[in-house]
Amino acid sequence: MSAQGLNLTVAAKPENLAVIRQALAGYADAMGFDTNAIADLKTVVTEACMNVVVHAYPDDAVGPLEISAEPDEDGLEISVRDRGSGFRPRPADVQDSGLRLGLPLIATLSDEFEVRGGDRGTEVRVKLRFSRNGDEQQSDDESGPETAEGTVMSITAGAFVRPVLARVISALAARADFSVDRLSDTILIGDAVSAHDPSDFREGTVGIELSDGAGWLGVRIGPLVEGGGERIVEGLELPGGTSLGKLASDVSIKREESGSGDLAEYVVVRIDR
Amino acid sequence: MEAGEIASEHIEPGVAVITFSGEHDLNTAPDLRHKLAAEIDDGFAIVVDLSGAAFIDSSILGAMLDARRRALDAGIGFEVTLNDGAQPVKRVLDVTGLRSGLPVHSTRAAAVEAARSGKAGQ
Repeated sequence: MSAQGLNLTVAAKPENLAVIRQALAGYADAMGFDTNAIADLKTVVTEACMNVVVHAYPDDAVGPLEISAEPDEDGLEISVRDRGSGFRPRPADVQDSGLRLGLPLIATLSDEFEVRGGDRGTEVRVKLRFSRNGDEQQSDDESGPETAEGTVMSITAGAFVRPVLARVISALAARADFSVDRLSDTILIGDAVSAHDPSDFREGTVGIELSDGAGWLGVRIGPLVEGGGERIVEGLELPGGTSLGKLASDVSIKREESGSGDLAEYVVVRIDR
Repeated sequence: MEAGEIASEHIEPGVAVITFSGEHDLNTAPDLRHKLAAEIDDGFAIVVDLSGAAFIDSSILGAMLDARRRALDAGIGFEVTLNDGAQPVKRVLDVTGLRSGLPVHSTRAAAVEAARSGKAGQ
């Protein structure tokens, strides 16, 4: 997985489409995409991800849906990938008019569009520009985690973290039926993580894993460098004396195996409705 | 982000108006299919008012196209309305060519009138 840009891994389920769409829209907004380009991006990403949700895995299985967005000089190159064994048309698809519109929409609204298939999954790569001009494409090809648990996101520390995190948290909190006040509390936590010293995150990449259920939202922050967990929790002392401990139902610092196989610190937060 | 909702209203005799708020995709398409099928089964002419939708994808378009086919088969009016505010929705309809393929009206009143007279497909 690239250290640049945005990487997301979610379970290939319909309810995650809004989360992905909001994450990419937030990133594009922070990059300076115009309104129309963001609208097109949302459509392209949703259609590409819907293909994975509908076609990639057997009916009784939920596999991973991996999205990466790489910024370049004139826009974003986005990859949508599954780990299935190829396109799986279903009998019901023949009667579903909408499923015939998805690929033409992607092809029309993206500046470049490519589908790569194989035994280990299908990848859709699209290029979208800040507005509607230009014609360059760059390539990157590496695997991400093969988990279908929660929403796993990594993003290069910097100005793009806050808008992406705010939109993703909002989408998940809305799904968990949070009140407006509770949603504000949750976004405050996202804001505090976004503003934290990047040096506490390994390789300068902010790693966030989000999970949700009926009335709750879980946030796992890391991998962090030694002592980073404590500093994150201290840094989440909010203005007015409100602490993370008061906003969240549970806060803990854990040492767990990271994606690279060694132990790293993580801050694990649970927020109840 | 506003959670997407779909409502069905009977504000005109014999006409069901389906309204949207927020964003809609494969997650809410089954709800739309269910509401449209129920109203058509009950004999109501359909007006789909997309003016409040912030986003729709091809699964929503598919639900509308399939319901329209059922309405036509049953001799029931099926109209769509979209005001000037819903630009992202308008763009999706334009790109897919459905603004001409579906009977899209700029006001709800015009859509209701057309639906009541059963001119689906014009």
